[in-house]
Amino acid sequence: MAEYLFRIFRYDPEKDEGTKGRVQEYKVDVQEGWTLLDVLVHIKWFMDGTLTFRRACSHGICGSCGMTINGKNGLACETQIKDLGTQVITVEPLRGFRVIKDLVVDMEPFYDKLYAVKPYLITYTPPPSDRERLQSPEDRKLLDGKYECLLCGCCTSSCPTYWADKDFLGPCALLKAAKFSLDSRDEGWAERVNVIDDKHGIWRCHTIFNCVEACPKDLNPTKAIVELRRMALRGRL
Amino acid sequence: MKFPRTSGGFYAWLFQRLTGILLVILLLIHFAVTHNLPKGGTLTYAVVAPRLATATWKVFDLMFLVCALFHGLNGVWMVIQDYVHSETAQMWIYYGLCTLGLILLILGAITVIPFKA
Repeated sequence: MAEYLFRIFRYDPEKDEGTKGRVQEYKVDVQEGWTLLDVLVHIKWFMDGTLTFRRACSHGICGSCGMTINGKNGLACETQIKDLGTQVITVEPLRGFRVIKDLVVDMEPFYDKLYAVKPYLITYTPPPSDRERLQSPEDRKLLDGKYECLLCGCCTSSCPTYWADKDFLGPCALLKAAKFSLDSRDEGWAERVNVIDDKHGIWRCHTIFNCVEACPKDLNPTKAIVELRRMALRGRL
Repeated sequence: MKFPRTSGGFYAWLFQRLTGILLVILLLIHFAVTHNLPKGGTLTYAVVAPRLATATWKVFDLMFLVCALFHGLNGVWMVIQDYVHSETAQMWIYYGLCTLGLILLILGAITVIPFKA
């Protein structure tokens, strides 16, 4: 057991409206193997019940507990305290989104962008009558590194282009667009390209690679954006 | 939330890449010839001026000028689009950059084209 100091961003819309929020410090005796989510739960249950954050699965699957930890985006449930390598740990809500309360941010604009790219399989031809739509192992392999996204928002929140241009679709929505556009069974490119081939779409990305660094699942949204650009370029020329 | 389709983006992106590649090639040729790499040599007016007065090098320098101006100003325009959200302000800045580009192009051209050794 070792004592750590947690500096956690606090914002109560009823008390702190009009301010930039404040930082509250908590000293916690961290047990071996605790993640940041374990610490937050400990604070909420035993020290300060007003601390607000999102969580659901606690196992890196649901993507609810995305936050900025010591300046880097990640999932609280996947962040081992001892791996942070410091006794003072700063926890902030995801950047680029409006803070609702404490570590909870408004994800609506993020989801709006996701819906805009039509993140689902679009087909015009009827499926075979006796089986599902099949895909070769090679075509399936093209989707590796794209389907694993949890929609935690860590990538879009880390993107300086998104900070500056709130209409930018962002790395997450574009990764989803790539996932479906590269799917051999999908026939929706003509619909999707209308949204992504735009000054707030694939051409707005400045290949800063923050999204790649931020992704807790080690995905590469920048590469996905480049693949979409290649497809759009072929379509245009 | 509506995402209206707008025209910009593609050509700015494409020509930024094309002029970037061209600039690297032109710069390598410039260094190789002007500085006589890899051997090196004297770099005096008497050596350089006759070459700059030839039609080939005038075309070369004009290409350099056009690519560098486009690449630089288009880069500024891309950053402006990130940070300036008012369409009116964007329009004024766009025309301002075009005017600046044109003035610099004329200044460059009147230096390069009539040059005599």
